Amino acid sequence: MVSMSLAAPTRTEILGLYRSLLRTAREFCDYNIREYTKRRTADGFRQNQNLTDPDSIFSVYQEGKNQLALAKRQSVVYSLYAPKVKSVMELDAANVITTNTSN
Amino acid sequence: MAARGALLKYLKVNVTSVPRNPTSAAGGDTGLFSVAFNAVRRRFSTEEVRGSFLDKSEVSDRVISVVKNFQKVDPSQVTLNAHFQNDLGLDSLDTVEIVMALEEEFGFEIPDNEADKISSINLAVDFIASHPQAK
Repeated sequence: MVSMSLAAPTRTEILGLYRSLLRTAREFCDYNIREYTKRRTADGFRQNQNLTDPDSIFSVYQEGKNQLALAKRQSVVYSLYAPKVKSVMELDAANVITTNTSN
Repeated sequence: MAARGALLKYLKVNVTSVPRNPTSAAGGDTGLFSVAFNAVRRRFSTEEVRGSFLDKSEVSDRVISVVKNFQKVDPSQVTLNAHFQNDLGLDSLDTVEIVMALEEEFGFEIPDNEADKISSINLAVDFIASHPQAK
């Protein structure tokens, strides 16, 4: 009864979800949120990669889909409040040297 | 004005030569016209190719450097013939990440069904070199 309509997602669907999450992560304009989303996505999929029970695969897949919807929504919201200055991690080395020497 | 005249004359020859080529069977000037027309056509097509497709050796250099920079890869094992999962010890999730990194490097988006097929460096190079939007 429990596993009646719960078809486990296929390999292609799971990889597609992984790709969609990474693509959405790239949209965030804030360096910290962007990198966190990428890291969280990779960690989440690694953590569940050895699951075999179809029910639990189904439930983590659903959770991933919910997180994807949330990330898409939030990337739009955050784009309205984009940070005015870049993170220091985004500056390339050449840029930093010229700003330092000009001061 | 002189340049315009020359250009118009140049174009006129080409335009009239197109319908004349298939109709006139063995006229004395047909050979000349078809040679000129083919030369022009060849020049245009090579310019187009150079403008939109990347050189294959450049693509393979850049693909190899992207793969070498990937955390889990041993740089010494990266060769043009390396297969991501068999030779480099990566899994399907890593392959997705590498394809994403290639998208960032070449500045275009690889659709999901194409991305699924890219499982080795050779396939990646072939796909990117044949894609006009890669830069």
